[in-house]
Amino acid sequence: MSKIKFELQNVSKSKNGNPILKNINLKFLSGEKHILLGPSGAGKTTLLRLLNRMDDPTSGYILIDEKNIRDIPVTELRRKVGMVFQIPVTFEGTVRDNLMVPYELGIVENPPDENEIKHVLKLSELKVDFLDRKASELSVGEKQRLNIARTLINKPEVLLLDEPTSALDHASAISLLRSISKLNSLTGITVIMVTHQLAHARFFGRQIIQIDNGSILHEGLSEDFFRTHNTLEISI
Amino acid sequence: MEALNYTLVNISYIDLLIGLGLIFVAIGMSRWQKLMLEREFAIGALRTLIQLVAIGYILKYIFALDRWYIILITISVMIVIAAITVARRQEKQTKELPYLVGFALTTGSGISVFLVTQVILQVKPWYEPHYLIPLAGMVIGNSMNGATLAVERIDSEIRNKKSEIEACLALGATSKQAASSCIRAAMKASMIPTINSMMVVGIVSLPGIMTGQILSGISPLIAVKYQIIIMYMIAFSVASSSLILTHLRFRRYFTQDHQLIEEAL
Repeated sequence: MSKIKFELQNVSKSKNGNPILKNINLKFLSGEKHILLGPSGAGKTTLLRLLNRMDDPTSGYILIDEKNIRDIPVTELRRKVGMVFQIPVTFEGTVRDNLMVPYELGIVENPPDENEIKHVLKLSELKVDFLDRKASELSVGEKQRLNIARTLINKPEVLLLDEPTSALDHASAISLLRSISKLNSLTGITVIMVTHQLAHARFFGRQIIQIDNGSILHEGLSEDFFRTHNTLEISI
Repeated sequence: MEALNYTLVNISYIDLLIGLGLIFVAIGMSRWQKLMLEREFAIGALRTLIQLVAIGYILKYIFALDRWYIILITISVMIVIAAITVARRQEKQTKELPYLVGFALTTGSGISVFLVTQVILQVKPWYEPHYLIPLAGMVIGNSMNGATLAVERIDSEIRNKKSEIEACLALGATSKQAASSCIRAAMKASMIPTINSMMVVGIVSLPGIMTGQILSGISPLIAVKYQIIIMYMIAFSVASSSLILTHLRFRRYFTQDHQLIEEAL
């Protein structure tokens, strides 16, 4: 049995008085690949953003390695719990410049050396030849890989992915999911990914958390989920 | 003070009326070219006349009173008006903005006016209104323009770079690190007009105070020295007030826990 990485206890979140998440109790396992599955507006992204304190819950507690996330300095927590957004963000300059962003901003004291740079590129399955290419000239899929590589510079223990495949065609999406799976098996990083696409959930997830209207409908192994749920009946 | 062998011609009110004739010509041109600016020209000319005559009398009265607290009150009023003006020009008007601008202008202008009047010129008495009021007025006016640009730019930068800022925060950046490019852009935007005017001063334009001193019969060599000091004062004041203002303003977009406040955007 894997160790518990995150535990959510009675977590609720409201925005402008509207409940987005309702009394969520949930566990994410260390080293596992989790899928937060649900239709648009279900509360998936809201939940994901609570895990690295991009936002805070209105009530309830979130524990990481049995410690309240509020007891960890937020910048340290975010280095430990990396996040990649739906629309990839690239900064001015080359791929190398983008990998230097944590150092340039002063987040890390020392710049990553050549070996570290090559290592994160390899884990994200981006070619080393890309290093001196302008980041703005990359395809969306390559930009998303660059975002993952930049996050990996911090050597996170958890990778949060907010619909990383939403702007990709099917082949590029599957290729990216395959790379993330490989990253998970090579490094043991805990992955929590938001998606509304059943095919991606089935392909990628080992743990499925189905969420709708701010509540958890299902939590468990992917095979159990797809065995007990007729895919046609799942409203996604 | 060294003066040229020269007598300043006094301008009478009749002379001013003749000068007003130039405005009538400008109004005529506007009508001829169908610019529809006749009303604006007329109001502008009238406001120039009323505002400047009024300030002339006020300054004459203040100079005659020669009291340090009256001078400080006058400068404080200038800062309050400048702060309100900057705040009103912003799309995002917030309660605290006039106070932030007031603080930034007081610090930036205060230090530069103090250094120039007390350390460089060593005016006696220290509150000598003939120096303090025009110098403070010029520095506050220029810093006000810089502050307007600084606030406008930092607000728009943070709004437009929301994704980049969130990406930096997610990497473990503090809110200041995440907004650093926005702060830099805002500071640059506020300083560029001052730097440009330092680049071309004396070549493309003769600044007002220098022109005024020359017209008063003072040697151009003395006038330029004053002008140089004034340009440096303005540069310092604009730089320091925009530095203070941008570093205070960006904070309203973030929580203490380095989270971007969506509602503030």
